[in-house]
Amino acid sequence: MIIDEIKEAVSKDFISKNTRQDGRNFLQYRDITVTKNIIPNAEGSALAQIGDTKVYAGVKIDLATPYADKPDEGIIVVNSELSPIAHFKFESGPPTEESIELARVVDRGLRSSGAVDFKKLFLEEEKVLSVYVDLAVVDHSGDLIDCSYLAAMAALKSTMVPKYEDGKLLHDERPNKLEILNDVVCTSFEKISGKLLIDATDDEELASSGRVSFASCDDSHFCAGQKSGSAGFTVKEMDSMMDLALEQRKLLVSKL
Amino acid sequence: MKITKDQLLVNGKRNDGRSPDDLRSFKVTAGVLKKAKGSAMVEWGKNKVLVGIYGPGEVFPKHLTNYTKALVNVRYSMAPFCGAEEHGRSGPNRRAIEIGKVAKHVFENIILTRDFPRTQIDIYIEILQSDGGTRVAGITAASVALADAGIPCKDLVQGVSAGKVNDTVLVDLDKWEDNLGEGDCPVVVSLRSNEILLFQLDEVWTKQQVLQGFEKIFNAAKVLRQVQEESLKENYKEG
Amino acid sequence: MILLPGAKLDDSLKGMYGTYTDKSGTYASTISLLKQDRIVPLKGTYVPIVGDVVIGVVTDEKIFGYEVNLNSPYTGIVSNKVCREQLYLGDVVSFKIISVDEVKAASLAEPRKLYGGELIEVESVKIPRIIGKNASMLNTIREKTKSDIFVGKNGRVYLKNGNTTLAINTINFICKESHTSGLTDRVIALLNSEKPEEKIN
Repeated sequence: MIIDEIKEAVSKDFISKNTRQDGRNFLQYRDITVTKNIIPNAEGSALAQIGDTKVYAGVKIDLATPYADKPDEGIIVVNSELSPIAHFKFESGPPTEESIELARVVDRGLRSSGAVDFKKLFLEEEKVLSVYVDLAVVDHSGDLIDCSYLAAMAALKSTMVPKYEDGKLLHDERPNKLEILNDVVCTSFEKISGKLLIDATDDEELASSGRVSFASCDDSHFCAGQKSGSAGFTVKEMDSMMDLALEQRKLLVSKL
Repeated sequence: MKITKDQLLVNGKRNDGRSPDDLRSFKVTAGVLKKAKGSAMVEWGKNKVLVGIYGPGEVFPKHLTNYTKALVNVRYSMAPFCGAEEHGRSGPNRRAIEIGKVAKHVFENIILTRDFPRTQIDIYIEILQSDGGTRVAGITAASVALADAGIPCKDLVQGVSAGKVNDTVLVDLDKWEDNLGEGDCPVVVSLRSNEILLFQLDEVWTKQQVLQGFEKIFNAAKVLRQVQEESLKENYKEG
Repeated sequence: MILLPGAKLDDSLKGMYGTYTDKSGTYASTISLLKQDRIVPLKGTYVPIVGDVVIGVVTDEKIFGYEVNLNSPYTGIVSNKVCREQLYLGDVVSFKIISVDEVKAASLAEPRKLYGGELIEVESVKIPRIIGKNASMLNTIREKTKSDIFVGKNGRVYLKNGNTTLAINTINFICKESHTSGLTDRVIALLNSEKPEEKIN
């Protein structure tokens, strides 16, 4: 706790002088790399890295019974694990509220955007495909939401759908790509000493009083939003963050 | 009665006869529980939400103790009988845990937590009947319950959801508008600081639509605040 | 007038109980009564303040002294140095708070064991009302009930001898009606009545 306060003070000190410890400006991402098909056993996979932050995403496809209220639609399930390998603060055990929030915010964007056409996941009566997107955070150096979006989206774009034959799914035969209709990416803003910046490191997150994330599915539409942390945001701040999120969109999409 | 998507907005009227900016009937009663330090019951449309406040008290588990401020916990829980559909599971699910987290952030903002170091304040939100907008109803009720408990707060806060049907922005979505509409954007505001304390967005929106939603939400919050204030004053009437 | 959280009180910054300040002025933080510039909270949590005389309950014995529950999220500590008398768990003891540290732990002194009698807990913010101006209210209750009544700032009242039932009923009545005017007259009427129970539910 006391060490955190020291780190927090350092982050705040830099930001109050309009600079950051790694020299970036407030609206600049660290280096981003996305590597697809990194886990060949999975139907789709990717490793997304933003600076030192590393998130794996794997897509598995299974047979499922559709939900009663949507009998002709497939299912998507997003889960995340904040593994203890990623940060000394993460503990093994049941999912924490941070990990549930992360998975649900990613889920919301993927679902709302219509990136996956659920009707196309329908096979026959009472049989649909279920797309499981699992996020494994392995190195937490901040900005997990943006990085998780990149990993999930890239993994979905690399997904090959197993062949369905005689009521069974053949996992070793994957003839078709999973059709993805749009690119969903997310930019998160942190409020530190009253200033807004993107792509915060974990040390900067310690100093943050609040975060707002905006996911977009094209150049003018948002498909998920989430505010976290105790800070309040004015409508003006929200307005400018929405503009800035769309400005960052091109860069993020180019990495997918 | 089942409502279909094309019945959500007909000639500018919503399925229950409201216009896009109208709120459902809203009533709040402060101090409804004996044991809790503060409490409130909200009846908002068909929603019935009960909130109880305990604390400030000792932190549990002890190692989470913060020596500079009070911790805030929010438990949002839907009763298994609250929906018009099938029997629900008891206890918080993943959705409820996420709602508890973002609701907690609202109260970390407005409670003067530095007045009570080394303590914990518990806010229990029980959804007894749900009909769309339960998280904002719960937070609006919780703000009244906190005031009723005498826990120092910067403001009373109000939550309202905005949504969309045929690209028309609506406030205060009911269950049908939430399930069948084109968007759900629950927001909690503090009118004193003019700030947004909770914001979530689902489905596809343009920036202009989001901003329109905010404007309508701030207007609706003024109406809710009036009712909140009256409910708290009601308990301290002369005679 | 009833004040609610967020109500603006002043454009300037005034530090008062039940309020907070920010750049734009002073605002109410707690549900309270505004009485000629005085803010009287209607509900609250007892936080130890130096100089307060409180009624504690001994909850633990330590090497250095005793731990005392103060009807507050914060416990009190009384050192053996200032408390020669042997105390036992559950003892009801009055103390004076001699210091409060930055995390609000209270050091206690001047222990006085309260033997027998009855102990009730009320909202600590109502204590000034129970005592009244120059202890007038409290003295009236003492006189009419012939009870020995000892009031702790932390919302505990100790009663012994006399008509304690009537005294407790009267105190509960004051707490319930503390925000109303003309309370003293109604309290006297209650104390003079034969069957106090019926009058206050």
